[in-house]
Amino acid sequence: MSLTADPPVRRPRRGRLARRRRLAGFLLSIPAIVLVAALLWTPIVQAVRYSMTSWNGYTAPVWIGPSAYASAFGDPIVRRVLENNALLLLAVPFAIGIPLIIAALLHEHVRGWRFFRSVYFLPTAISWVVIGMVALQFFADKGILNQLLADVGLGSVHTDFLASEYSALAALAITFIWSMIGTNTIIFLTGMATLDPTLIEAARVDGLSRRQIFFRVELPLLTRFIQFSFVITVISAFSALFSLIFVMTGGGPGLGTTTLEFFVYQAGFAQGQFGTGALYGVILFVIMIIVGIGQLRLIRTEDGEGW
Amino acid sequence: MTAASAPSAPSAPEAAAASTPGVTGTPGSPGAPGAGGAPVSRWQSARFRRRVSATVIFVAMVVVAVVMFYPFWYMGDNSFRNQNQFDLQSGHSLAGWTQLFQTLPVVHELVSSTIVCAAAIAIILLVSTTAGFAFAKLRYRGSGAVFLLIIAAMMVPLQSIIIPEYVNLAKFNLMSSYTGAVLVYAALGAPFATFLMATYYRGISDELIEAAVMDGLSYERTFLRIALPLSLPAIATVTVLQFIQIWDDLLVGYLFLPTNDRTITVGLAVLSSGRTTGIPPLMAGSLVSAIPAIIVYLIFQRYLIRGLTLGMGK
Repeated sequence: MSLTADPPVRRPRRGRLARRRRLAGFLLSIPAIVLVAALLWTPIVQAVRYSMTSWNGYTAPVWIGPSAYASAFGDPIVRRVLENNALLLLAVPFAIGIPLIIAALLHEHVRGWRFFRSVYFLPTAISWVVIGMVALQFFADKGILNQLLADVGLGSVHTDFLASEYSALAALAITFIWSMIGTNTIIFLTGMATLDPTLIEAARVDGLSRRQIFFRVELPLLTRFIQFSFVITVISAFSALFSLIFVMTGGGPGLGTTTLEFFVYQAGFAQGQFGTGALYGVILFVIMIIVGIGQLRLIRTEDGEGW
Repeated sequence: MTAASAPSAPSAPEAAAASTPGVTGTPGSPGAPGAGGAPVSRWQSARFRRRVSATVIFVAMVVVAVVMFYPFWYMGDNSFRNQNQFDLQSGHSLAGWTQLFQTLPVVHELVSSTIVCAAAIAIILLVSTTAGFAFAKLRYRGSGAVFLLIIAAMMVPLQSIIIPEYVNLAKFNLMSSYTGAVLVYAALGAPFATFLMATYYRGISDELIEAAVMDGLSYERTFLRIALPLSLPAIATVTVLQFIQIWDDLLVGYLFLPTNDRTITVGLAVLSSGRTTGIPPLMAGSLVSAIPAIIVYLIFQRYLIRGLTLGMGK
C-alpha cells in the first residue's frame, strides 16, 4: 500500500473514510437487525414471560412464576412427550450411518454415480407433508409394507403400524431416517471430496483392505462432518417433524407420536393454553441451545475463511 | 439392510486378493514361465476384482435408488386411479386428478404459494445482502456481536416462538393477508442467509472495495455496483434454499394465512387431515405441490448443495 509513503496527507482522509465506512455498515445492517429483533428475539423473550403464566389468549394472563416449570416436569403427560423425543434419538445413528455407507458407495465413482446422487438427494426438495402422505400409505393397515410382508410369506406379521403407540413412533422414525438420507449423504460426500487421495493410495499400498481404509483412515478424517450432520439430524428430529406428525398420525394414537414440538402446537392452538404451550416451546429452545452450541462452535472455527 | 451389507461384500475378494501380491511380489516365484506369468495373472485378478466390486456397488446403488424414488413413482401411479382402482391396485383413470381439482382450489393455492415465496425471498435477499456486506466489509463498533446475535437466531426453533408470534401478528392485524406469514418466513430465513452472504463477501478482496471508494463511489454505491453483482452465486443459493423451505412449509402458513389464501402445501395437509378425501386425489395433489420444488431442485441443484455444505464452513 502507498499508505506509508505519504502519511501526513492520507491520514485525515482515511479517518473520514473510516467514519463513513462505519456509518454505511451500520445503516446497511439495520434492516436485518430490525427484522430479526422484531420477529425472533422479541418473541423468545415474550415466550419466556408467557411460560410463567396461565393464559388462554383471551382473558388476562394469571402469573404463576418459575414454579410453572416445576409442575410441568412433574406432569406425567409431559414426561411421556419427552420420552418420545428421547426415543426419536434412537433414529439418529441410522440417519447418520446409512448415509455414510451410501456416500462411501458413491465416492467409489462407479458408472452413473452422478445420476444416483441426484436421485438420492431428490427427496430433500419435497415437503414433509408429501412425504407424510406417502408414508401413511406405506404403513397403513392395507398399505405397501403389509403387502410386501405378505408377498415374501410373512403375512402373519401383518400389523397396523399406526394403530399402536410405539409402532407408530417407529413408523415416524423410519420415515424420518429415509428423509435425512439425501441431506446427510451430501454432507458426507462433501467431506470425502476433501480427503487426500494420496493418503488413501498409501494405505492401499500398505496392504489395508477397503474396509480397513474406511474405518481407520477415512472415518477419523470425517469427524467434523459427522458432528455437523449429527447436529443437523438432532435439530431436524426435534423441530422439523411437525408437518410429518400432523399428516401421518396427528400425534396419536394416544400420545404415541406427540413430540415436544407437536405438543406446543396442541397445547397452544388445539387446547388454547397459551401459557403452557409457550412453556413447552421454551423447554424445546433450551434443548436446541444445548445441541446448537456445538454447531456454533463449528461455525466459529471456520469464521474468517472464504468459501 | 441391503445397503448395509454391500460394502462388506467387495472387501471379501479384496482381502483374499490382498495376500496374493504379497506372495507374487517376493522373489519366491522363480523360473522363466513364472516370471512372465505372475504379472499377467496379477493384472487379471486386479481387473477382475475391480469389476466385481464395481458391479456390487452398482447393484447396491440401484437398490438405494429404488428406495429413494419409489414414493415418486407411487404418487404418479396412484394419482391416475379412482378409489375402486386404488383399492384393487389395478386399472388407471383420470379420476384422481378431476377429484383433486374439484376439492382443492389448486390454481389459487399455487398462486398463493408463489406470492408468499416471492415476497419472503425478496425481503430475505434485501436484508441478507446488505447486512452480509456490512458485517464482512464495513465493520463498526459492536458489529461482530450483532452478527453473532443474528446468526445465533438460527437456533430458535419456530415452535418456541409460535405462540408470541401469533399474539403479535393478531395485535397488528397481520393475519388477514399474506403479510404476517411473509414476515415470519422472512425472519426465519434471514439469519442463515445473512451468514451465507457475509461468508461470501469476506471472499471479496478489501482492495477492490477500497479502490471503488477511492474512485469516489460511496460505500452504499460500492455495495450496489460492485459487491452485489459479484455475489450472484450466493444470491442464487439463498433463493433456492429459501424457496424450497418456504414452499414446503406447513406450520407458518397453516396458522398465519387466511383460510382462502392458503399455500398448496397447507391446503393439501388440511385436506389430508380431514381423512375424508380419497387417496388418488391426495396423490395427485402431492405431485402438484412437489413438482415446482423438484424443478427448482433439478435446475439449481448445484446451488442447493453448496448452500447446504456451506453451513459447515466448507
